[in-house]
Amino acid sequence: MNNKLKVLRAMRNWSQAELADRLDVSRQAVNAIETGKYDPSLPLAFKLARLFEMPIEEIFDDGHEGSDND
Amino acid sequence: MTETRNMKRPMSPRRKRYAAGIGLALVVGVVLGAVMQRGETGGGLTIFSNAPLTPGFATGAAILWIVGMIVSLAIYHRAVDDHEERAYLWAGLAAWYTFTLSAPTWWVLHRASLAPAPDAMLLFAGALAVNLIVWLWLKYR
Repeated sequence: MNNKLKVLRAMRNWSQAELADRLDVSRQAVNAIETGKYDPSLPLAFKLARLFEMPIEEIFDDGHEGSDND
Repeated sequence: MTETRNMKRPMSPRRKRYAAGIGLALVVGVVLGAVMQRGETGGGLTIFSNAPLTPGFATGAAILWIVGMIVSLAIYHRAVDDHEERAYLWAGLAAWYTFTLSAPTWWVLHRASLAPAPDAMLLFAGALAVNLIVWLWLKYR
């Protein structure tokens, strides 16, 4: 699953470690999400959405265009 | 570099619990291994031999292993995040598959006199090695 985490983090000038602290996860977890090696759980995805103040679907993209209109 | 800034920030409570769980497990393992090695004779890594132990030492080691591991694992599982929990679960599954493939195979080969008697600690060490490799790969790749 693609995501904009790296861009959103860069826009706030946060390091991976800073973002990890804000999410209360390890830096490796942030890195794994950013590089697409790991898809976060739903609670962690909601945490990210609250932190960046945007809907989950604006951060993550499962590649299915218009699936929310089905 | 962005990723290396603020490396010296104080540890969060979760990271402190994580370090405590891993540290306690390491201490238990190192203390048990060192005492066992010291008490054995023959040189080399006799810790991996099946040489007899005194009942007192064996009882103490068994209690320390069980209590130490239960406490450290309880701390560890309260501290891990989603990502590491997933790595831990897959590593555990890989270790279990290693055991389920190797133990019965070794056992039937032994019954046909094609292999020596199965060694529980060798099976444990093999499964643990697979567990560690998979966990490290999934967490740090």
